[in-house]
Amino acid sequence: MKETILSVGIDIGTSTTQLIFSRLTIENLASSYMVPRIRIVDKEVTYRSEIYFTPLLSQTEIDAEKVKGIIEREYRKAGMKPEDLQTGAVIITGETARKQNANSVLASLSSMAGDFVVATAGPDLESVLSAKGAGADRISEEKRIAVANIDIGGGTSNIALFQKGSLKGTSCLDIGGRLIKVEHGRISYIYPKIQKLAERHGIRIAVGDRADESTLYRVCEHMADQLAMAVHVMEPDELHEGLYTNDGRPLTAEPKAAGLTYSGGVASCYYNGEPGNVFEYGDVGVLLARAVKNNAALKTITTYPAAETIRATVVGAGTHTTNVSGSTISYTSGKLPIKNIPVLKISEEEEQEPAMFRDAIRRKLKLYEGENGLEQVAIVFSGKYHTTFAQLQELSRTIAEGADEVIAGPHPLILVIENDIAKALGNALNVLLMRKKDIICIDGIFANDGDYIDIGEPVAQGRVVPVVTKTLIFNT
Amino acid sequence: MALVSEKDLRDIIAQVLTEMNVGQDGGSAASSGSAAKADCQTTIEDGCWDDVAAVDLRTQYLVENPVNRDAYYDLKQYAPCRLGIGKAGARYKTLPVLEFRAAHSAAQDAVFSDVDQDFVDKMGLFTVQTKCDCKDTYLTRPDLGRVLSDEAVATIKEKCKKNPKVQIYVSDGLSSAAIAANVGDVLPAIEQGLKSYGIDYGTPFFLKYGRVGAMDQVSEITGAEVTCVLIGERPGLITAESMSAYLAYKATVGMPEARRTVVSNIHKDGTIPTEAGAHIADIIKKILDAKASGTDLKL
Repeated sequence: MKETILSVGIDIGTSTTQLIFSRLTIENLASSYMVPRIRIVDKEVTYRSEIYFTPLLSQTEIDAEKVKGIIEREYRKAGMKPEDLQTGAVIITGETARKQNANSVLASLSSMAGDFVVATAGPDLESVLSAKGAGADRISEEKRIAVANIDIGGGTSNIALFQKGSLKGTSCLDIGGRLIKVEHGRISYIYPKIQKLAERHGIRIAVGDRADESTLYRVCEHMADQLAMAVHVMEPDELHEGLYTNDGRPLTAEPKAAGLTYSGGVASCYYNGEPGNVFEYGDVGVLLARAVKNNAALKTITTYPAAETIRATVVGAGTHTTNVSGSTISYTSGKLPIKNIPVLKISEEEEQEPAMFRDAIRRKLKLYEGENGLEQVAIVFSGKYHTTFAQLQELSRTIAEGADEVIAGPHPLILVIENDIAKALGNALNVLLMRKKDIICIDGIFANDGDYIDIGEPVAQGRVVPVVTKTLIFNT
Repeated sequence: MALVSEKDLRDIIAQVLTEMNVGQDGGSAASSGSAAKADCQTTIEDGCWDDVAAVDLRTQYLVENPVNRDAYYDLKQYAPCRLGIGKAGARYKTLPVLEFRAAHSAAQDAVFSDVDQDFVDKMGLFTVQTKCDCKDTYLTRPDLGRVLSDEAVATIKEKCKKNPKVQIYVSDGLSSAAIAANVGDVLPAIEQGLKSYGIDYGTPFFLKYGRVGAMDQVSEITGAEVTCVLIGERPGLITAESMSAYLAYKATVGMPEARRTVVSNIHKDGTIPTEAGAHIADIIKKILDAKASGTDLKL
């Protein structure tokens, strides 16, 4: 039996703001005499918005009102209402996430973009979402190779490497089409790191100069070289390390990409050809696309067509952020959805020893004590070390002891586990606590310290819940 | 038709023996003979052969000079099938043959052995029997495996709680190994699940030489609303430890088979036993709510 859930993806990027609606189909893949195995089996984008330039009040502030206006207009055009949606994500990406008011913009949007729709950001996540939107994960899985997607946006290039369908690493460089801007035939803005890159290669450019195509193309060639260094097809120079966003890390040398896809606004020129006027968009994006296309080092790797280019991130946000939990879970009805729950992760080492497990929960819970008592948190662990009935009884006692403060408090006890033990553990806790505590115990979900999770209302006759794991780390 | 003369025959044998270097004459033959003798000295080593039954089928890949080992290996991870086990000429290699026979033996053992009485006692179950008097009868007379002995009927009437919401019992079925491997986790997990829903249940017991159909009689005797039997599945060559749970709402002798709900494939590499128990408790609740089971119940 198939069921569909509707999802929205909103991406407020450095240069563009976009929205998509998509339909996720979930289905029980197991036969009727087996324990159900419910999965997302199909993802279809049903509506794509126009691509808007992200409205800014200044270099440091997003125009929240105008952003909201764009979103409302697109909802109307698509005939969608916030209450139609079960899941989704708003994502503020790239340089935009560094703007002062990014948080308040997200807050104003999450109230109107559907009950369950909330903010997501962070360069690692952006790399992953754009790569999934571009289909790099799928290509790597089908061809059984390592494929990197380079999402070349306005301010940053986000790289994610997938091998045989699973994520191997991400990185993010300050290379982008709008790091040099052109107005009325003159250079109007140069990002400091790019200025330095040009100087290093003896190219003199300054704000106010006439925008000379061949000079700017030479700068773009060096930017393309930096991307080649990032995917390990060229020896890094002394400037390379400094170009990673927020002193981020490069990709590891292994596995090395055997295939490439490009996404982002610049990639759209890469695949679809250049517009007549190279400065049509008021930046060097078109020249950067040409430089990437002509780069000898990058040409040594096979380039595959991307499923999405300029819309890759928003498609990723709308269709790839939602997972479904395992199909045998335990929860108190009426307590869902819950949003923005911080993750309290217990390491595998702590998990194996009851006293350590208990103490780790207690120690970490202290971090979430605020003025109004204990915040709502999700206790996350692998569940690999407790599978027999007796072990699960012990585990339930350990958790009940460690989380006694949560149990005494007003919030439900939320447990998120990787291994398939949630239903049995939930039962054990219900019996132990004599059904006096609301418990939400789900499995099949991975999350880490620093992540936040949303757990949606149950679907598929209440057997699974949609879950969004978010990494809300802003670039600061 | 001329037969080979005695002389010819002797010549042929002499020639063969010479070629084999076991003739009486010829120094080289003598010396190599003594060398062979030295090789035949028995040497006893410590250690043992690896357990062929312990090989993980998912990681065993024996094809020589494969075109793409990684791709085939990845494919094997989807299911524990005997794929990519190579060949020697037209035949299987020795190791897969031994593994196959070990798996077959384990399957036979699972059918022919009895559930350890200590295990049954440890689980706190009393034992009753069907009309089968031994394994041979059980295997050759399926009809008798569906009927309780008179003594069993009397014992159940005496020891089991009357008219419970749920009656759970355990039966060997076609795999005693499955019972030993799974019941210790599944049965308490079902009971705990029922407790967490506030559903009361009757007195569990063990039925020896039982087939699935015996649950109908158990249902009639105990008057349970839902009857659930945990029973060993016919073993295969991948696992001999797979167990099923059959459930029925107000089962009666002679009812259609379609009224049974089943959860199969419970073993450590299938549905994890403890989680399966929790799932079965959930199904019992659904059966009670819907007052229906089998094809009448939409799960």
